[in-house]
Amino acid sequence: MLKREGTSNEIETVIGPSVHVEGDFVAVGDIVIEGTVSGKLRTENNLRIGENAKIFANVSAANILIAGEVQGNIKVKDSLELTGSARVFGDIKANTLTIAPGAILHGRCQSGEEKKSKLEKIDDKEKKLVEPLEK
Amino acid sequence: MYLYLYDSFLNNKKFTQALAKIETRLTDLGIGGKICRLSPLRNMEELINDEVKAGVKTIVVVGNDKTLSQIVNVAAKHEVPMGLIPLGPENQIAQALGIPQGEAACEIIAARIIKKIDLGRINNLYFLSGVKISDSDVTIECEDLYRITPKFKNAKISICNFKPLNDITAPKCGFDPEDGFLEIFIQPLTTHVFNFFRRHQPSDQSIIPFKRLTIRSKGSVPIITDGQKVLKTPVKIEIVPKKLRIIVGKHRNF
Repeated sequence: MLKREGTSNEIETVIGPSVHVEGDFVAVGDIVIEGTVSGKLRTENNLRIGENAKIFANVSAANILIAGEVQGNIKVKDSLELTGSARVFGDIKANTLTIAPGAILHGRCQSGEEKKSKLEKIDDKEKKLVEPLEK
Repeated sequence: MYLYLYDSFLNNKKFTQALAKIETRLTDLGIGGKICRLSPLRNMEELINDEVKAGVKTIVVVGNDKTLSQIVNVAAKHEVPMGLIPLGPENQIAQALGIPQGEAACEIIAARIIKKIDLGRINNLYFLSGVKISDSDVTIECEDLYRITPKFKNAKISICNFKPLNDITAPKCGFDPEDGFLEIFIQPLTTHVFNFFRRHQPSDQSIIPFKRLTIRSKGSVPIITDGQKVLKTPVKIEIVPKKLRIIVGKHRNF
């Protein structure tokens, strides 16, 4: 899980407040962002978006903690946490979602497993198999 | 068989005693070998190539960072392990490798802990510790995917393989010459008088690992490799993983 402090031993990429990153940013390890990112942002590990960070990108990671601003869709494999200072303008999709009081969220929100959609797909397949037999 | 390469500045009389002690200690430890003194007239590349062909199994550099960075460019072409006996000023790379100054380094050579470390390559020139960019008015294009631009003009930009040498503010972790990545390290510089005494917070710094990048600028910006050679932008920098076999000490910083 993401920790707010004392994670210095695990952090691999840090984008500080004095840096602007533009493009398809793909990192191998954990990412901490305090600056500006525009384009795409992706990691297989954890992502922490600091209070003064501004992200204009579609974001995907295993776990995300947001304290800053994100303009774009967010896809999280496991847990997404929005702190009281978070400002998110885009759709979010996460397995576990935590929103603190004061957080701003404008967009569609999807949390938990996608069992229903899978059942629908199975039904469709069955129909296709039955239809030719009926003909 | 060991080949000891002495830098030309060691011809100075003040190093005679230190060199004599080193030579005695090396003989005591049973790792004595051929000694070659480098000079501007001697072609280092030819010398090393000939000695490797003749059966040299270890090249030991006796000198400082400058000597090491010169020889790394030749030694990287061979599979022969490298050692270092630091003598004289400017020996920060030795510190990073955990090798003490002078005679004490002989024990490290004898213990022979060999690590396969990454090297950086800038326009076909290898570097060991890192690269410094003198001006922050540059654009860094990484992996042909994204572009990094410092927001302020006053920023210190380095490309690191080891933890930045002689930089107290740099974080202890995140720089590993065995991880297959180089790191871009960006620090905003304080210009205001009152900010002079304020130490940089780790949150001000940026550390971005990469494998390949290009540095471009509007004008020509000088780039210094290993504190020695100066190149000009545009430059291409990439990691060459596990390129150099080097003898390290127990107290290395990676």
